[in-house]
Parts: sequence; structure tokens; C-alpha cells
Amino acid sequence: MPHPSPDDLVLYLYGEADHPAVLEAHLAGCAACRAAFESMRAALGAVRAEEPPDRGGDYGARVWERLEPRLALSGTGGARWPRRLLFTGALAASLLLAFLLGRHSPRPGVEGTSGPVRERILLVAVGDHLERSQVVLLELLNADPKDPVDVSAERRSAEDLLPANRLYRQAAVRTGEPEVARVLEELERVLVEVANGPSELGPEETLALRRRIESQGVLFKVRVIGSQIRERQKQAAPGPRKVEL
Amino acid sequence: MQRMEESDADALALARAGDSEGFRVLVERHSRAVFRLAYRMTGNEHDAEDVVQEAFLRAYRRLHQYDQRARFSSWLHRIAANCAYDQLRARGRRDEDPWPEGPDATAADFPAADPAPDRLVMSAEVKQRVTVAMSRMSAQEKAAFVLRHFEGMSIAEIGEALDLEASAAKQSVLRAVRKVRQVLAAAMGVAP
Repeated sequence: MPHPSPDDLVLYLYGEADHPAVLEAHLAGCAACRAAFESMRAALGAVRAEEPPDRGGDYGARVWERLEPRLALSGTGGARWPRRLLFTGALAASLLLAFLLGRHSPRPGVEGTSGPVRERILLVAVGDHLERSQVVLLELLNADPKDPVDVSAERRSAEDLLPANRLYRQAAVRTGEPEVARVLEELERVLVEVANGPSELGPEETLALRRRIESQGVLFKVRVIGSQIRERQKQAAPGPRKVEL
Repeated sequence: MQRMEESDADALALARAGDSEGFRVLVERHSRAVFRLAYRMTGNEHDAEDVVQEAFLRAYRRLHQYDQRARFSSWLHRIAANCAYDQLRARGRRDEDPWPEGPDATAADFPAADPAPDRLVMSAEVKQRVTVAMSRMSAQEKAAFVLRHFEGMSIAEIGEALDLEASAAKQSVLRAVRKVRQVLAAAMGVAP
């Protein structure tokens, strides 16, 4: 056989060569190619994965804690998920808006809650809301436009997210967070469209919706605001204590 | 591993029946491995955490599509790889190949190098250069390279995970490897 190309050697090294026996025979008889192969093996052998940071023994439990409310909203399976989880976002939004407007304290345990504590509660709730919204946007963006797409789950999620989104937007306006309010407004337009749209989208409808989301950069903006809010959560958090709504 | 697969099957049966406890078991059992994969692909903790959440969410929504003949962990990893790939694409990595290798080059054209043991150590410089190479990869190349080189997935599996034709997955791996070899050539004294 002619001398193998570097790509041939890479595939051989990875066990993906089309004709490994032929290549092996060539390497056995060709000192130049053998040397090149050893050189390549040495270089690639030095490239090792960096160990990711340790997540701690309770990592799985923490992942679940964050995930469970989102599964309840996701619309597939989950028949025995507590219904109360579906109301968490809207309830939190109502309580927060009430806090922000100073109308009343929703329950005795939080009466007289200080400004920083209120801010932390708001940040946690809005951060969670933005994460859930990202899931909906991602699902829509990842839908395969080749076939009709069942978006009934996204539609239900959008319906669930809308009331909370409106309240957070209003709260953001009142508390002097124009950037957050603007992004929530853009998000709201998409949520309204999805919530009021059909349960199944044809290829053209899917593409059109995707284009609208992409052209406005809604997902990106939601991600950016979400990151900023997570940062503020970290700065506002006094310690590992969990804030209960 | 066999034991884990068996208990995965039990948890899966519960989850597919709509019992959150079954899915909780799967999440708690596989989270660390999914995070490891996500971190290697995205390169940072924050994105990796997002990928973990998204991967389990997608897995949950696709439980009805899971073929029980496959290992759950493999299926989940393919989903996680796809999520990480989406994340990389969303970050807008470059897609062009700035360092094309001449199509006519052959292995014999490259000088041999001495693979002395001390050169094989993953030195800080090698790490740094690999980081540079990764930053020059497109999202597709990076995803394919990590899955092939670090995770040991076959090219067919990579194609499946990233929704690519096998030929496209193969070309992505090869383009990525070229970039890695080029940046390492000077550091290690090996052929590019």
C-alpha cells in the first residue's frame, strides 16, 4: 500500500481504520511511517483529560433538588409528581410581588423580613424562573423541523410560566431593574406565542418560531440575565442556609 | 457494573411508570459521571452544571424512547454529550478550519521524533497548548474530539450523540486532532 496519511494513522490509533491489518503490515515494513506513528502516539498520548472539580458526596442529591421542580413542569411522565410543585413558580411570584409592593406579609414567618432577605428571595425565585424558561426555549430551538413537532409539553410549560413572568416583570420595573424587565418582556412575548399556539407545529412553523427566538437572541439574553442573577445570589447569600418561600 | 445495570433497570421501570422515586435514584447515581463528561466538553463548571440539568431533563422526557437493550449510562451520556454540544454551539465557537493540512501529505513526509518518556509527561506547557488548540476548534470538532479522545466513544457513537453522519463525525475528529498535533509539535518536539 502507499504510505498512509496522518489521518489514516490517527484512525488506526483510535481503532477506527477501515483496513487495520493492511496498515499494520505497512507499518511493520516502513521505518519512516512507523516512526511517524510512534511520534503521533506520543503526542496524542500526552493529551489527557483534566480532572473536573470534585462535586462532593451529596452532588446527586443537589442535582435532584434543582431538577425535581423542572420535571414536574416538563409534561412527560411524572404522573405521580406532587401537583403542588406546578404552582411553586406562580406562588413564589405572587408572594414576591406582594413583598415588593409592601401590601402584606404572606405568612407569619416572614413578617418583618429585611430588605436583603427580600432581595435574596427574589433572586432565587427569578433565577429559577429563568432556568425553567431556558428549558422551554432550548426544547423549541432543538426541535427537529423535518417532521411535525409535538410541542404540547412546551405549551403547558409556557402557560405555567406566563403568570409568574408577568409578575416578575412588573416587580423588576418597580424595583428599578430595567434590564431584567426588558428581557422578561421579550421572554413573555415568546411564552405568549407558545402558550397560545398549536400543540403540534409543522416544519415551517417550527422554523419560523426558531428564527424568531434566534433573531431576537432571547435565549442568550435569558442566559446572561440568569448568570447575573446567580452571581448576585452568591454575593447576597450570607451562608449555606436555604431560603424558604 | 452488572449490578448497577440491574438496579438501573429497576429504577427505570419505576420512572417509566411515572414514579419520581425511580428517576431520583437514576439522577443521584449518574450525576457525577454526567458532570464529568459535561465539564470535559464545556470546560467550565457553570456550563457543565447547566448541561447536567438539561441532560436529565431531556432523558426524563425521552424515557419512552429508551431501548432497554442499551446500557442506561451509555444512553444518558449520549444525551449529555448532545446537550453539551448545544451549549458549545450556543457559545458561538468558530466553525472554520484555520489550519488545514495539505491533502497530499503522508505520514512518511513527517520527520520522526524521539518519544522520550520525559516528553510524555502532561506538562503545564502541553496543557496550555491543548487549551489553545481546543479554543481554535469549532463546537463540532471540540465535542467530537472530547468524546473520541477522552471518553473513548466510537465514531459511530459520536455521530449518534451529536446528530451527525458518521463521515462528518470522523472529519470533525480528524480536524480536531490536526489542531492538537500542530500546537503540540513545537512543545514536544514531535511531528505536527
